[in-house]
Amino acid sequence: MIRNFFLVYGLFVLAAVSAAEYRGWSLNRVTQVLNVPRSVRDNPGSYRSVYGSYHHYTGGK
Amino acid sequence: MSAGGPTPAGAPQVGSLNCPGCGASMTVRSFGNAVTIVCESCHSVLDAQDPKLRILQQFHAATSEDPPLIPLGSRGSIRGVLYEVIGFQRRTIEVEGISYSWHEYVLFNPAKGFRYLTEYDGHWNDVSILRALPDVSAGGTTLKYLGETYRHFQTADAATAYVLGEFPWQVRVGEIARVSDFVSPPRVISCEGSDKEVTWSIGEYLAGRDIWKAFKLQGDPPVPNGIYENQPSPMSSNVKGVWTLTAMYLILLLSLAVGVYLMESDEQVFEQTFEFNSSGGGEASFVTDVFQLKGRTSDVELTTNAGVDNDWIYLNYALINQDTGNAYDFGREVSYYHGYDSDGSWSEGKTTNTVTIPSVPAGNYYLRIEPESDPNRGLIRYSVTVKRDVPQASFFGLAVLALLVPAGLVTWRSLNFEHLRWAESDYASPPGGSLLNSVESLADAFKSSGEDE
Repeated sequence: MIRNFFLVYGLFVLAAVSAAEYRGWSLNRVTQVLNVPRSVRDNPGSYRSVYGSYHHYTGGK
Repeated sequence: MSAGGPTPAGAPQVGSLNCPGCGASMTVRSFGNAVTIVCESCHSVLDAQDPKLRILQQFHAATSEDPPLIPLGSRGSIRGVLYEVIGFQRRTIEVEGISYSWHEYVLFNPAKGFRYLTEYDGHWNDVSILRALPDVSAGGTTLKYLGETYRHFQTADAATAYVLGEFPWQVRVGEIARVSDFVSPPRVISCEGSDKEVTWSIGEYLAGRDIWKAFKLQGDPPVPNGIYENQPSPMSSNVKGVWTLTAMYLILLLSLAVGVYLMESDEQVFEQTFEFNSSGGGEASFVTDVFQLKGRTSDVELTTNAGVDNDWIYLNYALINQDTGNAYDFGREVSYYHGYDSDGSWSEGKTTNTVTIPSVPAGNYYLRIEPESDPNRGLIRYSVTVKRDVPQASFFGLAVLALLVPAGLVTWRSLNFEHLRWAESDYASPPGGSLLNSVESLADAFKSSGEDE
């Protein structure tokens, strides 16, 4: 029973890794924005980044 | 009683006698083979070898005090041989002031002789007398029988508390024997010693439902409580199989990783070095030249390498598809600090940062970059590298974990089962040490499951 479950589970893990590599999945957080106006190319300052208000680390020990 | 004469082979024969104590009619099922018979009415223990059925002992007990779960006279097949239940006794040991009782059923077949079933808290054993003496180790902690090693589990004085039916020995209520059990699940070897003799027997764990089926008993068998000394671990038999599969999958995963690293293009599609003057003021954002991402939908890896030293730079990135207007927006900080204090030298952060953008379709793309930093920092030089279709080692790492965790859990449950088993023994852990012997038990399970296969 457990061996059969593990047989299927292991195949699932391998299939998931194969799919992740083939489709180019990632663990990083990226925000997708649709329909960015073409004018951004001429006026980059007109685009407001999602992460513009990010609180930057200014530390060090 | 017509004792003596050759024992007939075949199905058990039944006869009838009257008890000399109370005159009640007694059913005798093992002519010539029983040594004592116990009257069910007056609980007289009678000498079955004496033609006059001499009374050996009388004890007081309500007939309903401890009714056998398998009634006397029941017939059932054990290992293909028809046996009849002819005797029943309850025995008790006392450990740390607590009494523990188990039941023993005497089974008889005229051709095969006697066999026994024992029951404790819903755990059953099929027991027969050993034909050869086992080889006991010098310390008495292990013994060997037919090439199998048994570990000492418990030694206690067992008192006979209640008897009923026929027995192939001189049974007495109150009789005490020293019982030592040695286990190698699913088997147990028991040594029973008294002043007169020592008897060795071997038992094998049986499921209650199999006994109920064999004797065609009504209802359900008692539910087993706790873990019994020779109860086979349901997990141990799986440990070898699961680890074999794990090894096989890890090899497949390694092959997959080699294939992925050989096949994925890992193509560099963009690289440029920029300068950012944080104290310059004005609009910091800008766009790069257009570059092409080819092939199937795949990942894009962007690496930022900045010349920061006890400083930071934050970059708002947008990877924008020139044709569709779809963008992937993300921010990355590159910071690196280092110094020296009373604890010695220290460092924090790195001058390089890498991010992977998932599932980016093919097309013409450019980057919008908006750098930020400390306004007093001045000029910071940084480079941006973009690669297409890059293998992600993190997924292989997660897959290794995903494969190892279930195997580890099965192993842990198996070790836990052994721990609970030995918690009921004379030892807090198997004789010789906890972890080592638990692993040895697992090794035994490996061996036995290999033999089964």
